[in-house]
Amino acid sequence: MSLTQAQAPKAARARRLDPAPVLLGAVIFVVAWQALVWIGGYEPWLLPGPLVVGQRFVDAWLDGTIAPHATATLLEIVLGFTVGAGLALLVGMLLARSHFAERLLSPYLVAAQATPILAIAPLIALWFGTGLLSKVLICALIVFFPVAIATMVGIRSVDKRLVEMARAFRATRSQLVRQVEIPAALPAILGGMRVGVTLAVIGAIIGEWAGGERGLGVLINLARGSLFDTPLLFATLATIALIGIVLYLVVVAVERRMVGARG
Amino acid sequence: MSIRKEVTLSLVSRRPAGLFAAGLVAVLVAGLVAACGSGSTASPTVGAPTPLRVGLGYIPSVQFAQFYLADQAGYYREAGLEVTFENKSDPDLVTLVGQGVVDIGIADGTSLIPAVSQGIPVRYVATIYADFPSIVFAKASSGITGPADLKGRKLGIPGKYGSSWIMLQALLASVGLTPADLELVEFPKYGQDVAVREGVVDAATGFVNNEPVQLELSGEKVVVLTVDAITPLPGPGLITGEATLAGPKKAALKAFVAATLRAMKEIAADPLKGWDAAVAVVPELASDRETQLAVLNATVDAWQSSYTDANGWGAVDEGAWTESIDFMSGLPDSPVAKPVTVDQLVSKELLP
Repeated sequence: MSLTQAQAPKAARARRLDPAPVLLGAVIFVVAWQALVWIGGYEPWLLPGPLVVGQRFVDAWLDGTIAPHATATLLEIVLGFTVGAGLALLVGMLLARSHFAERLLSPYLVAAQATPILAIAPLIALWFGTGLLSKVLICALIVFFPVAIATMVGIRSVDKRLVEMARAFRATRSQLVRQVEIPAALPAILGGMRVGVTLAVIGAIIGEWAGGERGLGVLINLARGSLFDTPLLFATLATIALIGIVLYLVVVAVERRMVGARG
Repeated sequence: MSIRKEVTLSLVSRRPAGLFAAGLVAVLVAGLVAACGSGSTASPTVGAPTPLRVGLGYIPSVQFAQFYLADQAGYYREAGLEVTFENKSDPDLVTLVGQGVVDIGIADGTSLIPAVSQGIPVRYVATIYADFPSIVFAKASSGITGPADLKGRKLGIPGKYGSSWIMLQALLASVGLTPADLELVEFPKYGQDVAVREGVVDAATGFVNNEPVQLELSGEKVVVLTVDAITPLPGPGLITGEATLAGPKKAALKAFVAATLRAMKEIAADPLKGWDAAVAVVPELASDRETQLAVLNATVDAWQSSYTDANGWGAVDEGAWTESIDFMSGLPDSPVAKPVTVDQLVSKELLP
């Protein structure tokens, strides 16, 4: 029996929210990991199994080892993403509207993106100190490019007929931007933000490696270079991955709320 | 000795399901890499030199002159060894040696205690730095003459980890102070020497053969606070893996230690021999001869102590190791996860 027109979106939504594929992927991943440890006979200092890592993850959260570092990293990510994406929106709109601005700025934007952030981070720490500011700047830098380019492409892709129609209705420049261009470009802009938010996580960790007392990047260094605690290293990586996944899903949720689901 | 840490991380985050797949691939690759590297116990062919992979510090330096000299003078070759040097950071080297990928290398004694407490099967087999090289230094004009004078001062440090952090806590504990009694300024990329020179901090941690030497050469009188008389922490020395030590390369490792100690003695008698050997490996050193030669001389001084004078070059002071284990185990936020004994850490089987 074929689905009616009213039933089809519900079915698609149910498929999207079905947790079974995600759970299946997680189970396969954990089983393969544990099998590798058993077959290889690896010691926990070399390759800890998921059970050892899971136990260390729980212990490190309960005894307060991870929480203060995770809080610091999360703050850096949120601030860095907000600053970087905010600036990128403005610059992206400028690039979309002005070919002169695009020709003027593009070489520098591309050069900044092509330069390894790992090499720039120590310089930023040198100039701005090893506090929150330098981490926010590093996050903002790494977020900026994908969001700016997505914004530029998104706005340039707005259907010209929509723009002409708005002008025919005597829309002001501000109304054109707010009520036509940005809504129409939102799918592309939010696509850039999906990429940007995961890059922000990497930016925060790199910023912490350039200096600082707190943060999951600092905890990685401590676990690896001072404590030789490989299970803690994995637990920290798992925390970073979880933060990345949660932030990504937040952007996806915002996207679905603002522009609806895509496919 | 200036040991720097550099780490890289690449995160692949796309859709959640994609992340699981990426993670699975990463774990499988890590396992394969580990499996490939876990067996470096190839038995030497009769007559053929025994290959040895030797781990040195993070960057080639005049501080490794003894290894360069033993190689260039043919001491390793005479001993039937084919030596390959690899520069690694301390944490990487400890785990690679434990895994058996690197046969022998130079690592911090204070790194070994937490590493072994986590189950990494490595042993300290010969002392290279008989004096603990990590120190606190300050300009003489700062008025700092002992650990008690550090109270309330600004002190630069790479971070709250590693040998300098352990040393600082030992130094302060000797006069009833803790790091909370100081204002710590972190320099993760090792800029403490400049910070002291420019007066950004009153004192800083450093290495006896590096920052204070360079500061003195700039015409500044320097005060150096050492920890040896307070808590005899184990300095950098040669480490090897337990499996490597018990395997067919044991004789080769013993020959390597002997050849290295021979080169150390020769350099102590004539530092220019070590200088020439180091310049042959790192020609850039020659552009700063005065400084680098001073670094080498300070390095040679740190190779010897009253203990090694009495017991021979490379001798391992087990009593000092016991004190170090006790001290590090008793620290707040101790890096020692599980109790360890000197027998688990040290082996004298390779000493001449």
